[in-house]
Amino acid sequence: MTCPFSEYRPLPDGDGTPRAYCAAAEEFVQAMRADICNDRYGLDHATDCEIYRANADGEVGNGNESGDAP
Amino acid sequence: MTYEDYLAGDPVILTAALTGGVHGKEANPNLPETPEEIGRAAAEAEAAGASVVHLHARRPNGERSFSTERFQEIDDAVRRYADDVIIQHSTGGTAAPDDHRARPLRTDPAPEMASLDMGPLNRYDRLTSENTRGLVDDLYDEMRTRGIKPELEVFNDGHLNEVHGLLERRDLSAPVYATLIFGPGTLTRPTPQNFLNSVANLPPGATFNTLGFGRHQLPFATMGVLFGGHVRVGLEDNIYLRRGELAESNAQLVERVAEISERLGRPVATTDQAREILGLSA
Repeated sequence: MTCPFSEYRPLPDGDGTPRAYCAAAEEFVQAMRADICNDRYGLDHATDCEIYRANADGEVGNGNESGDAP
Repeated sequence: MTYEDYLAGDPVILTAALTGGVHGKEANPNLPETPEEIGRAAAEAEAAGASVVHLHARRPNGERSFSTERFQEIDDAVRRYADDVIIQHSTGGTAAPDDHRARPLRTDPAPEMASLDMGPLNRYDRLTSENTRGLVDDLYDEMRTRGIKPELEVFNDGHLNEVHGLLERRDLSAPVYATLIFGPGTLTRPTPQNFLNSVANLPPGATFNTLGFGRHQLPFATMGVLFGGHVRVGLEDNIYLRRGELAESNAQLVERVAEISERLGRPVATTDQAREILGLSA
């Protein structure tokens, strides 16, 4: 499971390649952080991402049917 | 290497760290990510004075890649666009499995150089680049087998102990080449005193490369020149030309330190000179 805050969007300056975007931090994520967003290499966004941990309680699992509880 | 080497006017090897594996175009749109972009950036950096290019690989969307095939695509592009630049692959990678870390060593031909991180460093709040001694030894052994010169990356003074330890465990070819890294977090605190201390604690006969992160890139490059070392700059380590102004290219950062080196009396090394200094086979 990837991070529920992750989205893929193109950069606003014309780079049409979709890139990891953190909807919790409201910014494009660094290339290395994208590994956490996607739970690659044994990483887990729920334990390894401080942004997710800081936002999860208020943003997901509160009656949102599409949300995944942390 | 000392101030005496500066006075002697020995050439300075400039390494351009073109892209890195941490940030991407979201941080600076001028940072190269695709093989084509990296190849062109390598040629521009070489024209500006770089004799070594430090390379990471990216997926098509800019995220990290450790695949041999992707490094091969990048090397092919670098050789297509650049003249005779020395290719140095990164073997770094936070959280990547050990077997992924060796994949950049397996291109054909092998890179002339590869980085070898000398120990752990923290990333963000909950990640660590482990770089165990076992992994360091395994990566070194594969480099040795493939004729790849290791660039020992020293992120803090504890890693200097690890350099001495590696020299006890393995028979490195002279000269030992270590990159001293200064900046925030796990890195050595970026002060002139610490720079001098790090240089003084290198093994006898070792050559060193100087790397300051962010706003420390320019002053530490200058200190590297003044104390007989070599210098690494590039968008991997610093995305700004000056405060609030993004760098236009890797070449712009290389050109700036090349000018400083020349003005201070040390010529910028050609690729042939760099190969001779580093003990690389032609």
